[in-house]
Amino acid sequence: MDFSTTITFNGLIQQFIVGLSRTTILFIVSSGLSLVLGVLRIPNVAHGSLYMLGAFLCYSVATLFGNSPIGFWFAILLAPIGVAIISLATERGLFCHLYDREHLMLLLFTFALMLIFHDAVKLIWGSEYRSLTPPVIFQGSLPILGMPFPKYNLFLLSIGPIVAVGLWFLTQRTKIGKIARAAAVDRDMVGAVGINVSWVFASVFVIGCFLAGLGGALVAPTQNITQGMDHTIIMEAFLIVIIGGLGNVWGALLGALIFGLTDSMGIMILPQFSIVFPYAAVVIVLIFRPKGLLRATW
Amino acid sequence: MRRIVSYMMFVCLLASMIGSSTLTFAASDIKVGIIDTYSGPPSSYGLDVLDGFKLALNKINANGGVLGKKITFVTRDDKFKVDLGLTEAKELIMRENVNLLLGTINSAVSLAVSDLAKKEKIPFIVTYGKSSNITGSKGHKFVFSMNENTEMIGKAAAIGLAKRPFVKYWIAGDDYEYGHAIADAVWNHLKKIKPDVKLVGQSWWKVGEPDFTPYITSILSAKPDAVIVATGGAGCIPFLKAAKNTGFNRKVAIYMHTATELSTLRPLGLDAPQGVIGTANYYFYYPETPENKVFVEEFKKAYSRYPSFGSLIGWYTANFIAKAYEKAGKVDPEKFADALSGMTIDSPIGKLTVRQFDNQLMLPMFMGVTKKVPGYDFLIATDIVTIPAEEIMPSIEDIKKARSQD
Amino acid sequence: MPPDGLSRLKWFTLGMAVLIVLALCPQFLPRFFTYLLALILITGLMATSLNVALGFGGMYQFHHAVFYGVGAYSVSLMLIKTNLPIALCFFTAPFASAVLALVMGFICVRLSKLYFGMLQLSLGSLVWVVVYRWYSFTGGDDGLHGVPIPSLISSVSGSFYFTLIVSVVSLGLMYVILNSPFGQILQAIRDNPERSETIGVHVRAHQLVTQVIAGFFAGVAGVLFVTVEGSAFPDLMSWTLSLEFLIMCLLGGWFTFLGPMLGAAIIVSLRTMVGVYTEYWTTVLAIILMLLIFFLPEGVIGYLEGFFKRPDVSTEEDR
Repeated sequence: MDFSTTITFNGLIQQFIVGLSRTTILFIVSSGLSLVLGVLRIPNVAHGSLYMLGAFLCYSVATLFGNSPIGFWFAILLAPIGVAIISLATERGLFCHLYDREHLMLLLFTFALMLIFHDAVKLIWGSEYRSLTPPVIFQGSLPILGMPFPKYNLFLLSIGPIVAVGLWFLTQRTKIGKIARAAAVDRDMVGAVGINVSWVFASVFVIGCFLAGLGGALVAPTQNITQGMDHTIIMEAFLIVIIGGLGNVWGALLGALIFGLTDSMGIMILPQFSIVFPYAAVVIVLIFRPKGLLRATW
Repeated sequence: MRRIVSYMMFVCLLASMIGSSTLTFAASDIKVGIIDTYSGPPSSYGLDVLDGFKLALNKINANGGVLGKKITFVTRDDKFKVDLGLTEAKELIMRENVNLLLGTINSAVSLAVSDLAKKEKIPFIVTYGKSSNITGSKGHKFVFSMNENTEMIGKAAAIGLAKRPFVKYWIAGDDYEYGHAIADAVWNHLKKIKPDVKLVGQSWWKVGEPDFTPYITSILSAKPDAVIVATGGAGCIPFLKAAKNTGFNRKVAIYMHTATELSTLRPLGLDAPQGVIGTANYYFYYPETPENKVFVEEFKKAYSRYPSFGSLIGWYTANFIAKAYEKAGKVDPEKFADALSGMTIDSPIGKLTVRQFDNQLMLPMFMGVTKKVPGYDFLIATDIVTIPAEEIMPSIEDIKKARSQD
Repeated sequence: MPPDGLSRLKWFTLGMAVLIVLALCPQFLPRFFTYLLALILITGLMATSLNVALGFGGMYQFHHAVFYGVGAYSVSLMLIKTNLPIALCFFTAPFASAVLALVMGFICVRLSKLYFGMLQLSLGSLVWVVVYRWYSFTGGDDGLHGVPIPSLISSVSGSFYFTLIVSVVSLGLMYVILNSPFGQILQAIRDNPERSETIGVHVRAHQLVTQVIAGFFAGVAGVLFVTVEGSAFPDLMSWTLSLEFLIMCLLGGWFTFLGPMLGAAIIVSLRTMVGVYTEYWTTVLAIILMLLIFFLPEGVIGYLEGFFKRPDVSTEEDR
């Protein structure tokens, strides 16, 4: 087939900004995954399911309020909290007995959780497609450099830095963050100085899952909410965490940037083969830096 | 504790093996085995088909069944996986002893089961798989398609689009077989009807792509007249949503197969963009025939929702099955296949015929444009143009050529 | 592991008895169960090949299904697109998997444990993307169907006998390899890579060879799958399928030789039988898996072994 794509400067800038808003979601989800992986050493395959759960909860809460703007804000807030509560229950009920097991066991355990969440979502919400309308102020688009840019994506763009700064504050400036970082390096030592490691782990797990739920809730108005949305995100999130460095939150940011931007730039430059770009980027990074770009926490 | 658990597991396994092998069904029934996707995103289509099928079946059985026998059915969930679908098909044929197979939305499963049906000489009726290979290059005596296929979609779209003034096109779609097959079919036929059309570019996204904004912005910067969007099922909804949020539909004309279908527009509510051109095989509000009104009423009464195209497929498939067994005179796979091939029945969208040559159902196509209409809490299609089945059926010569190459 | 003379005889007799019973199965079992047995053998062979790398090699083989799929695709493509003799197609296909295993292994063995697994997972996904996207060659997501295989080995009982013979030979070969000096060194590496390194064992080379062996036998399983089902499709190399194989190893016992086979038998029968009654069989699987991780971390055979004799296996203490 004959075709010629014209790439303009404005178009590139536009594509870059769109890529950034995509990165936001990827970062929020994969930073949660990275946190859990780094501190608790659980490769949480069910992380994607929690993301899906966040989206479904967001839908249900917003519908409960009759799709009013207030309902939307409540939904964005309540959905991740709901996910956090569920994750707290799983952590206290199940995971906390398994911390000394091999990674492989933990991986398979979270896989089992993923299967259960999947069936549970099917049982509760059925199989219909669902779609959520963002509040009126986020509908439509604003012109940026002569191109329409969806307002909701601008909102997403502003959330990204807030989450990043919040995470930085949490891990660097609070007591729990410091303990968690120490526990990631040497958990026996932390336990030896008389700190209740178990509860530190629980809170880290809950925070990580909260982020998955937040990602799901934020993404809900931009796509259809279905079973199966967990599958795509979990693979991407894992790849991001690996190229960033296991357990490193900043690595997750870097990985999400690489993944999101190669994706959106690939769409602009070689749209026919865009699907290959992010994967190729991952493989290139791993060939040169097999342990990820930034130092892993362990 | 450990001991108990392991014993429990063995007992469960044993019980399930024994329990399942002692199950027997009344031999006098005609048994239909349905394999379809009942979990994951595509399941809403499968459930629509099943509901339509049940609706027609209940009526047939209430009127005494066929050949003095009732038609019963069993379902299996293939979870959109080929290996699972294949095992289930074998289980249905060899253990449940079904008389015919029905299914599935996944073209890969359809093709795999079709191959099995050919070997086992069991009729297999494809309900929602849209690959043109099913009745085309891979067609055989025992496989039937009750749905439109990618070739038909392409021809219909080309006929409809050629009447519109667009010259510069962009093609975008789901990066899998179905997306590419539709795009190729539309483009090849369009080029034939209207040789001056130009392809400005293409974009392909992965199936299940969550966010279409980057694709839309990159398409907009190339300024085409119209975009042919080739997404299947799950992709339509987020694409239309992103189209509305970016104002895409107001800048460029969009054509998308199934864009006007109820299964796509209903979940979007009033959030769908207006003015999108779409093709579909059925609307519950069109054609406005008495038969259609009766069907819609009955379906609404039974399931308290409007019927989609899937529901109609289920409905006429059941009627085709009943009539074919009646014509065959006995429950025999060869006789059934011979009877169904070339058969015509009445339906809410007029007379429908299974083409004798390739066992492909001849379906008309309706091209319409999405619009907000008072009285509905979702958008519906307006300015509907009917493209008759005869004009869009794949050419027999092409199929012959494709089959001889294999 | 090497048994003494008497019990060796005992095991041999037992093995032969099982073989004879299996060989007679198609004569008295309904067709569907013969097919199911063939499927169990293939899945079991696949899980055993995974376990060579996982249980005996100590490598986190997260995406083993890739080699299964490559074996299946190689044989299907050769049978469909070339006029090569059928026997040659069957024979060479597993080597395609072995070559891929060599390439992927070369990149992955630099790392250990979770890093190894994750890198393998991403490389495997790349292979999957290529197969999924390369329509003109692999048939894309529609896959390849109706692979021309002579009816002698593709009928239900024919494919069963073919599967039985090939998988028994493959299992035998793997058993011999694992009990050879090479296998002993491999297990020593698994239990303590640092110590093995210091006594002069080339750890990476051994791991790489193990990768190739595991990949090869996964390819054999892939070829058998095509013989039984007549199809190849991208699902065969999806990462969820890889996790299912991992579960089988875990379920049967991943430090035992026959454990994965038992795990495969349990999972395949469960999937087929529970699937008849409910769409939610995955939940049943998940609950079994959770119970297993909590109560039977060594798997069924591992547990039974510990149950019948004193748990005095030395490797157990090292771990």
